[in-house]
Amino acid sequence: MRILDNLNIDFISKRKIAYIISGTLILLGLLSLAFRGLELGIDFKGGTDIALKFDNPINITDIRTELEVLGLGNIEVKTFGGESGILVRTELQEVPSEVYSTVIGAIQSSIMKFEPTAKPTISDSTSKSITFNFVDMKIIESVDAKLQHDGYQTSRLDDNHLIIRVGIADWIEGALRNQMPNNHFVVQKEDHVGPKIGGELKQDSIISVLLALAAILIYLGFRFKFVFARGAVVALFHDVFITLGVFALLHGVIPGLNLEISISVVAAFLTIVGYSINDTVVVFDRVRENIKIHKTAPLKDNMNSAINKTMRRTLVTSLTTLFVVTVLLIFGGDVLRGFAFALTFGILVGTYSSIFVASSFVYEYVQRTEKKIQF
Amino acid sequence: MKEFRFRIFMIIGVLALSIYLLFPTFADVQNTNKIEQELSILTENLQKSNPTISEAQLNDMLLLKEDSLMLADPSIRENREKRMKLGLDLQGGMYLVMEVNTAKLIEKLVKNPDDEFNALLKSASAEAELSDEEVVTILATKIKASGKRLSRYFGSIREDDDEIIERLREQEADAVTRAIEIISNRVNQYGVSEPSIQQQGARRIIVELPGIAKEEEAKRLLQGSALLEFKIVKEADFTYPIMKRIDEVLAAQFGDESDSTLVSDSTNVEDLSEDEFARLHPFFDVARLGQQSADAFVEESNKNKVSAYLRRPEVKNIIPDNVEFLFDAKPFTTPEGVNIFKLYLVNKEAELTGGVIVDANANIDPQTTEPIVTMQMNSEGAREWARITGSNINKRCAIVLDAAVYSAPTIQGKIPGGRSVINGMGNMNEANLLQIVLKAGALPAPVDIIEERTVGPSLGQDSINQGFNSTMIGLFLVALFMIFYYKKSGVISDLALFFTIITIIGILAGFHATLTLPGIAGIILTIGMAVDANVLIFERIREELTTGKTPKAAVESGYANSYSAILDSNITTFFIGIILYQFGAGPIQGFALTLMIGIAASLFSAFVVTRLVFDMMVAKGNKINIG
Repeated sequence: MRILDNLNIDFISKRKIAYIISGTLILLGLLSLAFRGLELGIDFKGGTDIALKFDNPINITDIRTELEVLGLGNIEVKTFGGESGILVRTELQEVPSEVYSTVIGAIQSSIMKFEPTAKPTISDSTSKSITFNFVDMKIIESVDAKLQHDGYQTSRLDDNHLIIRVGIADWIEGALRNQMPNNHFVVQKEDHVGPKIGGELKQDSIISVLLALAAILIYLGFRFKFVFARGAVVALFHDVFITLGVFALLHGVIPGLNLEISISVVAAFLTIVGYSINDTVVVFDRVRENIKIHKTAPLKDNMNSAINKTMRRTLVTSLTTLFVVTVLLIFGGDVLRGFAFALTFGILVGTYSSIFVASSFVYEYVQRTEKKIQF
Repeated sequence: MKEFRFRIFMIIGVLALSIYLLFPTFADVQNTNKIEQELSILTENLQKSNPTISEAQLNDMLLLKEDSLMLADPSIRENREKRMKLGLDLQGGMYLVMEVNTAKLIEKLVKNPDDEFNALLKSASAEAELSDEEVVTILATKIKASGKRLSRYFGSIREDDDEIIERLREQEADAVTRAIEIISNRVNQYGVSEPSIQQQGARRIIVELPGIAKEEEAKRLLQGSALLEFKIVKEADFTYPIMKRIDEVLAAQFGDESDSTLVSDSTNVEDLSEDEFARLHPFFDVARLGQQSADAFVEESNKNKVSAYLRRPEVKNIIPDNVEFLFDAKPFTTPEGVNIFKLYLVNKEAELTGGVIVDANANIDPQTTEPIVTMQMNSEGAREWARITGSNINKRCAIVLDAAVYSAPTIQGKIPGGRSVINGMGNMNEANLLQIVLKAGALPAPVDIIEERTVGPSLGQDSINQGFNSTMIGLFLVALFMIFYYKKSGVISDLALFFTIITIIGILAGFHATLTLPGIAGIILTIGMAVDANVLIFERIREELTTGKTPKAAVESGYANSYSAILDSNITTFFIGIILYQFGAGPIQGFALTLMIGIAASLFSAFVVTRLVFDMMVAKGNKINIG
């Protein structure tokens, strides 16, 4: 099959149109970043994520109101994996002190319910766990079994001491269990990230993306002319920035599409950088070849012919990759959704920029500085 | 066809190697299914015959069955070791990042702290939470700012501040080593399969526990202070009769269970065949007696079995209340390559706990050039130690950390003054390990969990299914598109694509790499990207054909002219792969790895595989048809 044979469009002369489109997208991205900001996941902010899967479909709004009563402040609830799954998130690291006594009270009343004669004493309590001292060995066994059945995380220190975890996740899970006794759930995943790790990851992410751009700048500067390398990196920066802008614009807008920035989304950004450069390199490679063959032809013609001649392969390679990332977006599940979305959008922008932005930028720069390019 | 022979062999070689590397993974999946089936049948039968069976008993039985199945066919274990592993995000499990709590460590190290020091330490650790600086550095600056020398609190008066800071750093590093040893010891005893415990940076430990369901239990394994104890090992004349009784009771029990009336009284071991011995002496069959002492030697694969025997109520009744059986912490390896744990019978009551140890050092004895460990106790401990050693001369004293025996040296004489020398270590590594263990008794290794990720098995299974489906759909779409767009050449590139994928998975398996969900995503992405090189080449050949070149010339210049573009673009992507690998932890590294292997494999298949097919077509005089 043949499409776009003998394509002959003067892309370089029409670069103003590309500037307007890109400029608008970047401006939109900037405004979104400024006014809506990015939604950072707990990888970067620190906090706790719990994914639960219920036996029956649930109503998110009900769960939100039920969790508000807990007094844990801002708790986010989202769907996760279909209509019977939820993702609960809080930035808290541990149960706040003003709620702590309520938590302990709840555990004590559970124990009383199982074994009214137990009367355990509290022998130790930290912000994350509480230890009860039981006099009777037999009672501790039955209490332990029943608490576990109710979903508490317990462990036996010795014959008389029972440790019960009072983490923030347990408290949330416990509350949901109490309020929805007929809709059983299992914990699908539980992530807990301390604040220090989050800060480090933020720094690492920015460094990695900058490092990636620098590596490309150096390699292409070495393989092509430096002005080409600069054009390529500008195009990549353009892609990453616009994709980031889309994350800022659309987070929380489309139901079922979780657009928070997590480590895997950062990995997707790096991949965009790595992938989007491919199409640009193909065009530049052709420009280089043209300049070698048609030494006297104006740069504009050499560039236009390169873009036109490589247009088909640019589109086909992007299309095959777009196929697979779209499949990943649709069928890959919730865990990979943000990652797949970043890739899908990034490849679209990347293809656009390889055709319309990278060469135009190089041309613009050469025009302004009145340099001549030779290979 | 001679000119193609080398390339054909190379391609077949790569393909064969990939399949060979993939075979253990494939076999392991089948083995696992088979074992699971047998176990579920067993569970059903057990529950039917004994509805009141407790979970612990059931687990014991299942574990034994699994061990015996694994033992029956050594290839099962072999394949399992060589297979491609699944990441925690796919099989479920816990991922933890722990950091040594330096402030707590300093609290233990400081001498004569005053209120001012405590206040400084508190503010230093609060500041360290928010900054990149370490507690030691911040604290040192703060103490200096208050006009004091560090030697007021640490070390001796002669040392200057820098020396003391250096020493504190060493203590910090020691604490990490100690924590790693304590954690691996506990994890090994807990029986987690394929745990991973690694140090990251100066003060962090990454622990991966596949398949752990009970978080609180797992975390208790990892936190809490370690217990070091000295316990006297019972002598052969005490131990042997107990073991013999255990053996008899078990033999009688198994005899009953298999409804055999034959309970032999034959004691002439030499006359018995292996099977008979195993039937008549179930305990001594798995816990063989040594020549000199009454330590039993247990092969690694039998360790669970022996533990389960010892947990049986009828066996527990035989063992006196004041003694217990303990295993070695680490096995020794026989010349035949079998790992063996020794089983000791020791006094339950510890003679002394590790809190009395002030210091321990591994050294080389200048006289014998053997590795030795010296251990110094405080005055209170030294007094006790002199009494204990004095009354137990020629007996052995087990050094036990969290219920695992690290060493059981013989007491050669009364040790006054609290300074003991332990020798008889095989090499310096063993000595270093013992030093770490002894210090674990003296100094805690306080660690905090700073990151924790748990994935339940159901989510893992969902992810596997979704990943598999996406791979198949993606592969199908891309393959279909290539045929639709490039016709016959599309078929060639699809062949190359299958080749690429098999190679990627084969290399991953060859590296014993861990397959994670992002890793699967990497494979899917590679499917889309792998055809890119072919697309570039096809388009270029097509272009060359339109200029009127012969098929042979068109193929040649098509390849030659697309070479640089393909190489340049893939090298830049490869750079990104390296950066990604450096940046991310576990799952992301899996993605980076598949991406990089994918680039290498797709370059090979574009430049070698499809090229070969084209060259052969041209040589046969076929027309080249691109779309």
